[in-house]
Amino acid sequence: MEDQALVMKNVCKDFKVLNRHEGLKGSIQDLFSRDYKTISAVKDVSLEVARGEIIGYLGPNGAGKSTTIKMMTGVLEPTSGEILVNGKVPYKNRTENCENIGVVFGQRSQLWWSLPLIESFKLLRDLYMVPQQQYEDMIELYRSLVDIEPIINKPVRQMSLGQRTLSDILAAFIHNPAIVFLDEPTIGLDVSMKDKIRALIKGLNKEKNTTVILTTHDMGDVDALCRRIVIIDKGMKIYDNDIEHLKGYFGSYRTLHMKLADDTWEQMLIDEKTTDVMQVITEKQKVTKIKDIRLEEISTEEVIKKIYEGEAV
Amino acid sequence: MEKKTRGFSFYADIYRKILVQDLKTKMSYRADFIISTIGMIMVNLSGFVTFLILFRNFPTINGWDYYHMLFLYGFSLVALTPVQCFFDNNWNLRFMVTSGDFIKYCFRPVNVFFYFMSEVFDVKGLGQLAFGIGTLIYAWAHIGIPVTALTIGKLLVFLLTASLFMIALMNAAAATCFWIRNSGYVMVIMFRFKDFAKYPSSIFSGIFKFLFTFIIPIAFIAYYPSLVILDPDNVPLLSWLSPFIGILFFWLSYKFWMLGVRKYDFTGS
Ligand SMILES: Nc1ncnc2c1ncn2[C@@H]1O[C@H](COP(=O)(O)OP(=O)(O)OP(=O)(O)O)[C@@H](O)[C@H]1O
Ligand SMILES: [Mg+2]
Repeated sequence: MEDQALVMKNVCKDFKVLNRHEGLKGSIQDLFSRDYKTISAVKDVSLEVARGEIIGYLGPNGAGKSTTIKMMTGVLEPTSGEILVNGKVPYKNRTENCENIGVVFGQRSQLWWSLPLIESFKLLRDLYMVPQQQYEDMIELYRSLVDIEPIINKPVRQMSLGQRTLSDILAAFIHNPAIVFLDEPTIGLDVSMKDKIRALIKGLNKEKNTTVILTTHDMGDVDALCRRIVIIDKGMKIYDNDIEHLKGYFGSYRTLHMKLADDTWEQMLIDEKTTDVMQVITEKQKVTKIKDIRLEEISTEEVIKKIYEGEAV
Repeated sequence: MEKKTRGFSFYADIYRKILVQDLKTKMSYRADFIISTIGMIMVNLSGFVTFLILFRNFPTINGWDYYHMLFLYGFSLVALTPVQCFFDNNWNLRFMVTSGDFIKYCFRPVNVFFYFMSEVFDVKGLGQLAFGIGTLIYAWAHIGIPVTALTIGKLLVFLLTASLFMIALMNAAAATCFWIRNSGYVMVIMFRFKDFAKYPSSIFSGIFKFLFTFIIPIAFIAYYPSLVILDPDNVPLLSWLSPFIGILFFWLSYKFWMLGVRKYDFTGS
């Protein structure tokens, strides 16, 4: 078996968008129109992901994350460049590629809407031709990682958003795929459901050595799951390394938390190289009382924010 | 890793399993089920009564008498059943394409067209089927067509042929949503056209006859196939060819549909 789960070489994706016209006459005009503009959603991205790795694929809104995932899953063809998933070109072998991947798009369920979850699982077992023993073992594994009793007999249409996402993630692993793509799986979920889902993903990755490509805007997901992150912006890859490395780059930054007279916490990001922490506190004390102080290293959230705002690495 | 092959029996088995689950849940919403059953009977009944009233007063149209017309009517009802029962999800295609939800059908290791259509089985078609069969038997008996293995065999083959045309028409109409925004109109127009299917094509002339035969093959939904049974001594060549033309149209519509999927750029994040 190849040692890389996924390889991308100089991948680009352009969308041709029609400049639409108004009204019925416009619609007819559009049918024959050649009035296109080109949007470059992904520009020259190269990437290698090893088996069993969980990578955080990050970037601001519109950076090209979902587009990349659509190419990796074989539904979109790259405009140029090369992608290999499990050693195969996904777009050319869509059905074969699907055999060995799992996909979850947050807030877009892929399960049968009216069926109880367990029936969806059984249908998927048959669709993917999973041997019965392997299927049962997987359900056992699910039970050991998360409490599935409250949802297993529930029709998907009656589930809350969180339960539905949980179900979709479970469904994405049922055929024990080599790679799972999770596009914003924790979007819109409460803190405790987020925790559950992170624990589940981590557990499945550990037990099955599944490669996970995760996009998210929640740095809590990144802290819980990813060692390595890849950041893209405006379609281009701008960072690809361990998260610790990135934090090291911002090593002189500290987050200062101060509890004020009215019991609220105020936080501030300070670069120790340029600003003296003590002085900031003294200045603040001149205007208000400070009850408590905490000094922390820079959070992932703040590091990523700095990158998005254009701090070069 | 060994390559898994999925043949006809695999697909038939999957379809059956999805159908069984679907029917189970439909029946568990009992009130819903009963109301839609009643609604379905009313719709068919009103169509039937309109037809009766209309044709009681016209003893013959272009040499077609009342029972022949009734036969054609029943024939078209039965022929429309498969498209209604098995391909009804075509009506949802454009919404899924615009919202981006369509993407979910592309993540499974099975044929996208099959997977999409397998999701919906419309029970309402069954009422139509029952009405159609009833009408057909009634007209059949009055016309006095002999009941032999040959006539029954012909009937089945040509019913299937007729339904292939309707399926092809709706596939093609639905697939236009991959290219144009207001594809809803296309579907509605096509669906309305089927109402012409229950009239003998000989009442149309010139440009319409050509249009309904070769461009939008309505005449194949009942007229040409049923001639094989109604008028066995003067069967036009087009009637004999219709099974092959039907398969061709179906295949073309399937290819067109799949081309749409390939061209579609999967909007939505
Ligand atoms: N089907 C499409 N047709 C035209 N443009 C598209 C299409 N899909 C995406 N785009 C454009 O490509 C760019 C990247 O979009 P993409 O959905 O990949 O971003 P993203 O990183 O997933 O963003 P978000 O975090 O908001 O989900 C955007 O400018 C978007 O408008
Ligand atoms: Mg996205």
